[in-house]
Amino acid sequence: MPGKHVASATDEVCRRCKDNISVLIVRSEPLCHECFARYVHTKAIKRLESFRVNFAASVDQQRRILLPLSFGASSTTLLHILDLHLKTQKSKTGRTGFAINVLCVDEVDQVSACASRLELVRDQYPDHDYTSLPLHHVFRLIPNDSSLGALVPSSSDDDDADSKTKLFRLTASLPSASAHADVLYTLRARLIVEYAKQNACESILWGDSTTKLAEKTLAETAKGRGFSLPWQISDGPSPMGINFHYPLRDVLKKELLSYIELAQPTLTLLVHEPSPGATQASTSSKNTTIDDLMKQYFESVEENFPSIVSNVVRTTGKLEVPASSISELRCSLCSKPVPGGRFGIHGWGGDQHDGVESPSTVIYPGQLCYGCTRSLPQTRAETRIA
Amino acid sequence: MPPTPCALCHTNRALILRPKDHSKLCKTCFITVFETEIHHTITTNALFARGEKIAIGASGGKDSTVLASVLKTLNERYDYGLDLILLSIDEGIKGYRDDSLETVKRNAEQYGMELTILGYDELYGWTMDQVVEQVGKKGNCTYCGVFRRQALDRGAARLGVKHVVTGHNADDVAETVLMNLLRGDLPRLSRTTSIITSTPSASSDPASNTNIKRSKPLKYAYEKEIVLYAHHKNLDYFSTECIYSPEAFRGSARALIKNLERVRPSAILDVVRSGEDMAKLVPGSDEGCGGTCSSNRPVAEEEEGGCGSAAGRTVGGDMASVEKQLAQNETATNNDLEVEITSPRPSTKNGAVPLSNGKKAKKGITPKKTNKQVMGQCKRCGYLSSQEVCKACVLLEGLNKARPKNKIEVGYDVQELQQRDQGVDGVADAMQQTSIGGE
Repeated sequence: MPGKHVASATDEVCRRCKDNISVLIVRSEPLCHECFARYVHTKAIKRLESFRVNFAASVDQQRRILLPLSFGASSTTLLHILDLHLKTQKSKTGRTGFAINVLCVDEVDQVSACASRLELVRDQYPDHDYTSLPLHHVFRLIPNDSSLGALVPSSSDDDDADSKTKLFRLTASLPSASAHADVLYTLRARLIVEYAKQNACESILWGDSTTKLAEKTLAETAKGRGFSLPWQISDGPSPMGINFHYPLRDVLKKELLSYIELAQPTLTLLVHEPSPGATQASTSSKNTTIDDLMKQYFESVEENFPSIVSNVVRTTGKLEVPASSISELRCSLCSKPVPGGRFGIHGWGGDQHDGVESPSTVIYPGQLCYGCTRSLPQTRAETRIA
Repeated sequence: MPPTPCALCHTNRALILRPKDHSKLCKTCFITVFETEIHHTITTNALFARGEKIAIGASGGKDSTVLASVLKTLNERYDYGLDLILLSIDEGIKGYRDDSLETVKRNAEQYGMELTILGYDELYGWTMDQVVEQVGKKGNCTYCGVFRRQALDRGAARLGVKHVVTGHNADDVAETVLMNLLRGDLPRLSRTTSIITSTPSASSDPASNTNIKRSKPLKYAYEKEIVLYAHHKNLDYFSTECIYSPEAFRGSARALIKNLERVRPSAILDVVRSGEDMAKLVPGSDEGCGGTCSSNRPVAEEEEGGCGSAAGRTVGGDMASVEKQLAQNETATNNDLEVEITSPRPSTKNGAVPLSNGKKAKKGITPKKTNKQVMGQCKRCGYLSSQEVCKACVLLEGLNKARPKNKIEVGYDVQELQQRDQGVDGVADAMQQTSIGGE
């Protein structure tokens, strides 16, 4: 796919420097190699103005940020750009505005692949701290949070199951591919947040591109988590107790792919991005997830209507939670504040009179938000009610 | 393998896989559950008052037919004490509306309800067929939607009815939520999920057509269940799609909703829930209640709901023009130019025909602030409007300007020929203008 953009460039002169021959067309502007790289860098760095070098601070007061790395195009490019940025700061001022902790969350069954990928990245960008954690450590890092632990289906034989067993039991209980993807994503986010807080990071710099944020907006809407959108899309303090930033929010996914293709081959080697066609391959609705659907949708919209993608993100960014209405009541799974304590899928106009109501509806002591209730089955019964 | 018993009565054989939650029900239980849920919607939202006269916006399609049937049943079963009548709007689309109106006439007899049919030609002097002839197929849904909204209110006012119910279902609402997200239209996003809207009266005249309450009792009902209900109750409805195509944004959102439903049946309801929650997050929205409390009714949509027919034909037309508009705004912002976002209004000299996305483009992108609409009255027709002249009047003005004043007759007189040329030019002009505005 990235090759397509390069191929679509004509022999026109770069619209910005007016010197070089353009290599691709970016939002209807033909750009040369350097100007395109600058375009991507500027978009990212502009978002990080609050992280400029602070000469008043002493050297041991170095600010720390956490960068979660998935080895996908976005987070890897973000690391690449930040690494360049810190090098520039260092050469100009002798110090940097912040230090980076890179955290890689190992996917289940891929621990060794993650380790070797992380080694490659570390060799390429040796100035930063690297950690890799398996996903099940979320149960270890949040030990006192019994509400998360309470979501794990209990087994009669032992209550002190290790975190790995807990994760296995929790995921084995999920009813669908969508639920599976959703719960893993949620746990991953919680692990990242928890790790960042425990390691004195003041912000998390997520790699999400414009396209990804638009996908997330519609996917979360479809999952019934519309209430939480401001906390998932906006830069700044989050109710998770740490700042969230999305430095690549103004860069489209296809632009990142072009960037990687045009960058030094070393960057390409670090990226493990599923091919764009992969999301379309699954025709069975059983294996398709809501996230897949949205990914597929925005891959096509991005192609011809990039501004519509940006506009979705910009619009969602305008939604705001009135400070007065931030609830103290949290969802046990995603840990987001639940407005008005409206847990579960009942208690609003749309649940009406549900067809089947089993008396033991709630077997978890933990309370879930509307969206998480859809992903985590409420009953062990065979009949699962919507 | 023994037949699966119904999950509710445990006696009859389950014949229906409920689209909403995939529970297995027998026919009787499905019908009861479907009706009970609508009763639940009506009572928890206090939609009706005893003795109220209600006009059911009836198109002859499945939604409004089911709505009429269910309301009749519930009115009798729970003794709502409502006076139900049917109100149909004839858009004047040959081969589509004339057949469906026949269905409505039969429904009126079957349900013993009084029926009034009101035509676009009668109200506006234009049938939809004539409009399409004039503006082309692109963007004609805008005309139809704007005209229909007022038509129902005007019809209701004529009949002395203060409350109109429409057949908008959960799929329609979910689709509109996604569509407004895609179009970046926050003000509309905050209104679409309300179950009750009203056009508050700007005048004290009780016969004023601006004081009509609207509600959607089927807001939480799945389209598929509506079809099932109609089928199992042997309801007489007319099923065909409007022959004119829907807006691309709506088509795109509709396709997405259908795919979501396939992946997770509850998704339609989940989008509706998200929409209700997001309505509270729109800055400046007075929708603290998410449209669920009736004391604080959001102002009705000038063009809501689309026409709910025509299957999703994908991306095209208006998405391209919005894309272009947004791209220009971006360039302007990047160049630090003043960002005054104007709708793609054609120049005034040739009698502009601004279409709905003009207004949206203006609102969607204003930095950080969401415009709050101030409602007043259209200075032409007195209908409630946020603009000086309401949308219907603006559209009509455009249409009327391009309509040849004199009848064109075939003749060999030079002057007449010239006149005809002008007439044709006028139409061509109008088409061009419309495509600039609404493409």
